[in-house]
Formats: sequence, C-alpha cells, structure tokens
Amino acid sequence: MSALLDQLARRQLVWHGDSQQLAYQAVSSGYQELDQQLGGGLPATGLIDIQTEAGIGELRLLLPYLQQQQQQSQRLLVFIGPPAELSADMLAGSGLELSQVLIITPGEQPAFGQGLDKLSKLTTAAKNPKSVKKLSPQQQALWAAEQCLQSGCCASVLLWPAAISLAHARRLQLAAEQGAASLIVFRHSSQTLSLPVNLSISLQPDPQGLQLTVLKRKGSWPAASFLVSMHQQWPALCLTGTAEPLRQAG
Amino acid sequence: MALFLYLHFPALQLDHLQLSDQSSNLPVALVDQQHQLLQINAAAINAGLKLKMGLASAAALCPDLQLLPYQPEQQAKVLHSVTQQLYQLSSDIALDNPAGLILRLDGMLQLYGGLEPYWQALSAKLTALTYRYQYSCGATPYAAKCLAYQQAGLITADNRLFNNALNSSPLSATELIPAMQQQMIRLGIHTLGQLQALPPAELARRFDSQLLSYLGRLRGDYYHALEYLQPEPGFSRYLELLYDISDSTVLVKPLAKLLQQLEQQLSRASCHCYQLLLSLFFRDNPPLKLSIGSAQGEYKAEAWLALCQLQLESLPLPEPVYGLQLDVNHFAGQQHATAALFNQHQARMSALQLISLLQARLGQAAVSGLTLQDQHLPEKASKRSPPLTKGAIGQPVLALRPAFLLATPQPLTEAVTINQGPERLCPDGWQLSAQRDYYIGRNQQGQWLWLYRTVSQQWFIHGWFS
Repeated sequence: MSALLDQLARRQLVWHGDSQQLAYQAVSSGYQELDQQLGGGLPATGLIDIQTEAGIGELRLLLPYLQQQQQQSQRLLVFIGPPAELSADMLAGSGLELSQVLIITPGEQPAFGQGLDKLSKLTTAAKNPKSVKKLSPQQQALWAAEQCLQSGCCASVLLWPAAISLAHARRLQLAAEQGAASLIVFRHSSQTLSLPVNLSISLQPDPQGLQLTVLKRKGSWPAASFLVSMHQQWPALCLTGTAEPLRQAG
Repeated sequence: MALFLYLHFPALQLDHLQLSDQSSNLPVALVDQQHQLLQINAAAINAGLKLKMGLASAAALCPDLQLLPYQPEQQAKVLHSVTQQLYQLSSDIALDNPAGLILRLDGMLQLYGGLEPYWQALSAKLTALTYRYQYSCGATPYAAKCLAYQQAGLITADNRLFNNALNSSPLSATELIPAMQQQMIRLGIHTLGQLQALPPAELARRFDSQLLSYLGRLRGDYYHALEYLQPEPGFSRYLELLYDISDSTVLVKPLAKLLQQLEQQLSRASCHCYQLLLSLFFRDNPPLKLSIGSAQGEYKAEAWLALCQLQLESLPLPEPVYGLQLDVNHFAGQQHATAALFNQHQARMSALQLISLLQARLGQAAVSGLTLQDQHLPEKASKRSPPLTKGAIGQPVLALRPAFLLATPQPLTEAVTINQGPERLCPDGWQLSAQRDYYIGRNQQGQWLWLYRTVSQQWFIHGWFS
C-alpha cells in the first residue's frame, strides 16, 4: 500500500496539503505578519496583483520589499503611470536609491521632443493620417511595462493601469519571468477579474495599518484576512484612537 | 618606381540608381544636355543601344527605354562615397572627376605583400560595391588612365607590358581634346606609339604646349601633382528614393541600407555614435529633421533601425518622401561594459539601452528620473530629472512626506480626522501671507491625506500617503 502511495507521490499524482512548497522565490516584505502568512514574503519575480484604493498605505506596504529588490540586484525600479507626482523625500527616506528610479508617464507629450511645433504644423496639412499608428496612453503604459520587464535591467516595475485584460496579464507575466523582474499592478478592488499572477492580495484600510486578504497565491490556498500593523514602521500614520475628528465644510 | 592604378566607372550614376531597385528589368539610360546617351544599363545594352547614340535612334531601337537626366553633381557624390569606402583598403586615392579614381600603389605593396593580394582585397571590395568598373595599372596616372579606358586590366608592375600596351593605344583613349585627335588622324597618326616616336622638339614647333605637357606626364618626365583624399570625420549620406514613399513604415527599408553603411564605417573606426540626424525630403514642404538618440551609443545597424522604426511608426508624413539623408556629426570611441561573471540573470539590454528604447517610442519627456532637491517646500523638493541622474549626496531627507503630491492642491471637501500637525512651511522670503500649516489626516475611506491650512483658514489637500 505504502509502496503504491510512494509511487503516486513520486509521479506527482497526489498532492500533500501539509507540505506546501513555495512556487516562487520569496523576498521578505519587512512586515512580520505578512511574511508569516505568505510563507517568507512577496515573490521576487512575476506578477503581483494588488487590489486597493489609493492612499490607504499600499505603497508603504511594499517599500521595504522594493528597497530589497533594488539593493540585491542593483537594477532599476520603474514607476509607470503613477496617479500623481512622486515625492523624492518619501522614496529616499525609505532607503530607495533615487538614481535607479525611473518614472514613465505615458501620454505626457507626443512622441517627438524636437521640432514639435514644426511637426504639428505639418500634421495638420497631412492628407493621410490613417497611416500612422498612435498608441493610447493606456497601451503605451502596457508596452513600456513589457519592455522594462523583458529588458532584464529592472528589478521591479510598478504599474497603475486603467484596466488590464487577461491576455495582457499573461504577456506581462511571461515578460517578467524572462527578465527576472517583478511587476506590481495596482487595481481598484471593483475590478474583480482574476489574473494569472503569482500573488494577488486585496487591501482594506484599518486604523492600525492595513487589513490584508490573500485572494490567490501560487502553490497555496486562500486564507482568512489578517491585519498588518504599521505601528512600528509608520507610527505617525496609525490612529491612536484619541484624535479629534475635524469637520470641514466644502 | 611609382605605380598607379586607375579605376574607371563607366556608369556610376546609373548603377547607383539601380542599386536601390534591382528588380526592374527595364532598359534605362542617362542622357546629357545634347541628348546623347551617356550611361546605359545591361537591359539597354541587350536592346542594342550604344553610348553616344542620339535619342532618336535610341528610341527607334528600343521603344520602352527609360530616360533619366545625367546629373554630374549626383555622380560626384557617389564617387566620393566610393572613395570613402576604398580608403579603408588603400591610403592614397585621388579623385578624377567625373568617373575615375587614381590609386597610388607603391606605398601599399609593402603592407599587402605584393600586388596580387592587394588586388584581391581591392577587387573583392569593388565587387561588393556592385558598380561596373574598368581598371588598369600604369607607371604614371595618365598611362594607367589611358589603359583603363581601353579595359586593359593590367595588374602588374612590368614596364615592358605597359609600354607595349601604350604604344598600341588609340588616340581616343588619351586626354587630348577631340580637335587635336582629329588633327593627328589627318596626319596619319593613329596610335600613341606613333605619336611618341616623333621627336619632342618637332612636336613643340607644330602643336601647342598642351600636347607636350600631356606626353611628358604620360611618360613620367613631368611631375603630375595629385590631390589625395583626406577621410571625413563624420558620416553623411544621401539616398534618393526610386519612387516617392508616403507610408512612414515603408521608409524603414531604404533607411536600413543607409544604416548598414553607417555600421560599416563605425565598425571600421571601432567607434559608435550617440545620435543620428535623419532628414526626410518632401517636394513641397521643408525637409523634416528627426534626431534619434541612443543613450548608450550604438554602432549596429540593427539596433539603430529598431530605434528609428519606433520613431517612424508614430510619424505622420505630410506628403510623400523623395529622399533620405543620414548625418552623424560625432563618433565616439567604444567602451565595453563589464558584466559580473557569476550573475544569474544575463540582462538582455543595459539600462541605457532600455531608456533610449522607451524615449524613442514615448518621447523624451515621458521618461524621467527623480532627484531630491535641497528645498523645504514639498513641491520643490522633488524634481523630475533626466533618467539615471545622480542627485547631490548627503541631502537631508524628510521621511514623513506623502508618496504622491498633487500638482495643484485641491480644496478639502470631506470630513477628516487630524492625526498629526501642524508643520508650518513658509515660502522663500518669509512671505507670511503665503505660509501654510500642514496636517496629516485620515478621511472616512481610510485614506491618509496631507492637508494644509492657509492663513485665511482654507483647507487644501496637497497629496496623499500611499
């Protein structure tokens, strides 16, 4: 009997629930609770899908991870399409090397820096504008993400997409594996489309930090949501419970 | 003893035009102002056409003959580019307009170890250029030229052979003006040998000095000054398209040809370049100039083509393009990046290459770095800089700043819980009226906002902690 089981196990026909092996190489997230729940930390490569509202602490959760990613490999950290201007103070304060940070803002300007006015003058006279393929900012962002991931010179790419399709996600996942980089996608929680990712988490605000739910993790099953406390790292950004609410009329 | 090689290109302009379009089998001929055929292609020769034929007889022989005007300045450009390419093999080259090159060989024989290997290298190069050519060696430039015009094809240093060939040369292969040739023929002098047999003193009495000076140079009695070519520092080539191109993606094909030439020149000089200037010529509009940059510096045509393609893809053409010009002003020496031997992941490209790729597609402004400035105002503390710029070292860092700053602060319209503050910031010059008190607040949705209150008690959101 046991010989048969042995054989089945060797041929990977039965799956042991108790011996969970990580499907990816983990990098410590810098938060103990999270590392424990994720079996070591966040994946070093591949897609990480984060469903979150803006401004509740999603970037803070990732900063120690990003810092390690950047430091270990001495590669670039790329922000594609951030929702507002990034603050150098904040990033440098978290130990990121600013000279290795790249910010890509698609749709900032038409594709030509030089001779811009001349070009626009010429384009208005153009008789055959249909011969030109113009990418939307959304497409540009996805293209840039793929190029960065593939290049092999980026450690992590952070992407704020308006929408991302299954096909895009699969392409990006392949590119990320090829370039040994990780792509972190920030999405609104309303977009419930499940993507082929290494890790998918959902974040909810909490006075003490963040309420985190693991939606999907490669080589594992979902667990109950848990609290990631930010008291230690960011005491100023946690409610103590005594503060007075301040009302302000618009 | 000096030794010269003369290369004569009988149909340089025509061959150059045909280079870009080998598929067509139409007979093509170049005509000059007097309506004489000056250069004809193989299809035209097959049709029975001959050089110096009039237009009428040519048209009668070959009704579908394509005619193009002969442009001496165009041909001079091609000849110059041929010279540039041959310069890599042979050092002393003098231009002999409109269709010839004089190469001085005696200096090169030492290097190549004889005439045979030298000619092997040179003829391989000439074959690669695909222009038709006639050649011959000679003891003097004029002797070589005279023999090349007769397609003697002598590759030797043997003076006896030269003299034999020269003595039997017809006068039509010489540099003498047609009127003088006519005069000689009337006198019964048909070959150079006959002319040379006459005593110079008698010739001087009957003919002008031109003849004597030519003969003197032919024999090597007189010094023949040649202006040898100096190599150009940069790269500049013009390519006239066979037909107008209105789709910018089709431009890639002819551009690849120019880039290939650039690669050859760069790799020979062991250099790379950081910027190309590509000019597109239109018939009505002024030429469109594009500058294509590579932050790392490239020499490979493939890499440059990929960058050009990205720019051309999104380029609207106002009207069809009839010519391309590629200029590179500055070459830089190659530097090879060293990679760690035990690195697990071999990067496909370097960071600089990635940046040039992104900039080519998205534009210069869309790709930037971030530097920390020595400023206390939050909107001035972060500055977008060119990618990979190193900021000042040892800048004091204020960690408790929001990750995202709004370009223009927005009025606060919701209830927030103030968690920390105030932090008073005042613009330069202590303008007390513009001072702001900053607070960290949390709204009902759990977002952490960075707020400020102005002197007039108005609240604004300046950013959010993410």
